[in-house]
Amino acid sequence: MKTLSVLLRIELLKTVKRRAFWVAVGIFAAFNAASAIVRIREAQLYPQDPFAPPFALPDSWSTIIGESIMVGPLFVAVLMILLFAPEFTWRTGMQNVIDGLSKKRFCAGKIVVLAGLVLLFMASPILIGGGGALVSPSEGGPVLVRSMDFSYMGGYFLVLLLFGSAALMLGALIRSSGPALGILLLYMIVEELMSELMARVGEAPRDATKYLPLNVFDELGNDLVHYPERLAAVNESRVAQGLAPLEFLDVEVLAIAALAYSAIFVVIAFVSIHRRDL
Amino acid sequence: MPIIQTHELTKRYGRRAAKSVLAVDQVSFAVEEGQVFGFLGPNGSGKTTTIGMLVGIINPTGGSFQLFGASDPKGLLAARSRVGATLETPNFYPYMSGRDNLRIAAAIKGVGRPRIEECLELVGLADRAKHRFATYSLGMKQRLALAATMLSDPELIVLDEPANGLDPQGMREIREIIRILAGRGKTIFLSSHLLWEVERTCSHVAIVRKGTIVASGTVEEVVSGGTSVLLRAADEDALVAALEGYPEATSVKRSDDGVLVSLGSDDFAALNRYLAGQRIHLSHLAPHRQSLEDVFIDLTRGDFDPMTEIAS
Repeated sequence: MKTLSVLLRIELLKTVKRRAFWVAVGIFAAFNAASAIVRIREAQLYPQDPFAPPFALPDSWSTIIGESIMVGPLFVAVLMILLFAPEFTWRTGMQNVIDGLSKKRFCAGKIVVLAGLVLLFMASPILIGGGGALVSPSEGGPVLVRSMDFSYMGGYFLVLLLFGSAALMLGALIRSSGPALGILLLYMIVEELMSELMARVGEAPRDATKYLPLNVFDELGNDLVHYPERLAAVNESRVAQGLAPLEFLDVEVLAIAALAYSAIFVVIAFVSIHRRDL
Repeated sequence: MPIIQTHELTKRYGRRAAKSVLAVDQVSFAVEEGQVFGFLGPNGSGKTTTIGMLVGIINPTGGSFQLFGASDPKGLLAARSRVGATLETPNFYPYMSGRDNLRIAAAIKGVGRPRIEECLELVGLADRAKHRFATYSLGMKQRLALAATMLSDPELIVLDEPANGLDPQGMREIREIIRILAGRGKTIFLSSHLLWEVERTCSHVAIVRKGTIVASGTVEEVVSGGTSVLLRAADEDALVAALEGYPEATSVKRSDDGVLVSLGSDDFAALNRYLAGQRIHLSHLAPHRQSLEDVFIDLTRGDFDPMTEIAS
């Protein structure tokens, strides 16, 4: 418990003193706040407009989370790399260990940062978007959060964790912010190309691509996976147009895959820090 | 019980035998309580790697070591809480103030805020403590590193090139701080290649060359490890030629004052008889006290190429 308190204190100090952190959080918060303000205004101006989406809970959750999912994971990944990788270039990670923090605890400190970033970027849209929905003139439903909204929030949490842990691993392996960010972006392109190639090879490889990290990310972040009625409506429309209905992995399977990937990434980061010289 | 004890400590970088580098090769030494121990060697001789293994940032590939008698991971972690150390350049967060940087080190070491202020005062940085580390001069950075080292009032202080890049005033300040700490009974392990600094500051030294220790002991022992005499004669060329054939002479060097000979024994009469037999009559024969620098240069000869150093 004492160790956790020390790790929290030192990582909090390192983070809040970093300008890049406040810039990133500010941009993200402004993005969420602006989006909320625009839709509250629309709800005030066009209360009867069927095309202006109502900004009331629980219906707004899918929109609020959907907007954050587009950028939130990238912010977490970039911040994770920016807060972690310079510890190697400044050699401050090395000094932390010299000062008495074991390599194991140094790594645990970075897992604390990851958890903090995930919670912060999870809380930001919920507080801003949810707060906006509460003051919006649109009327809400009988409950504030439905089970499918919880599922979507869980999906958002998992994609933040997935991207953040991937960034943690890249920070530990590459030990430099620029190249680590470059490889993260490059991986996204490579997986996309790999998925297309595997899909052409046959059915089994195509099915396997569904379990690749980015596909898990895409599906967990897709509102249709969490809102069955919406998926049914979309598929009905697709069938009417002669298109194949959309199919996704079960949410439980996606959640297990995301957690497994996150765990693997964290373990790789841990082993890398533990076994390599600082 | 020695504070530091290494036994055939080894570090090899790289796995493939052909491309691997043996940075530290079976180094064994001991540092006792209260010693100011100088760890000397040319650049790339393995000093920092050895210290890195002691402070836990580099994994040894062979041998073992003990800190305060502990050698297992858990014991070493506890032992390291009794150590204050800095390695090479001062390593701090450039965007944070000096005080905030010390707050991080203090949190890790379990030290309260009053001690941070005490250490800032001791190194003369109290006035600049709120400024960003990135704005500090090199001397201030070194002093902040010393402050961080002293935060937990450690029993063992490890300093790697603490005077690196400092002007004479800065060097004097660092030397004074080291003297104050030594006066308080701290054990100090000091790596440096500023030999006259070490000679003035340290009680014991070890000289490392290409990853191995080539001399160690008290400064007196290492400096007087060989006997040297300064000789003069009318024909200096003949003197040098004769000395090169003298079996007890381990090295013969011309200097501004004459010819400096290192001898395997202190039998100066035998040397005089030998030279007389060679028809060389000395006008001057006097024992010569070597400096640590002389010993260092003798022991590490070949590691230093002045032209390369100048070019770089």
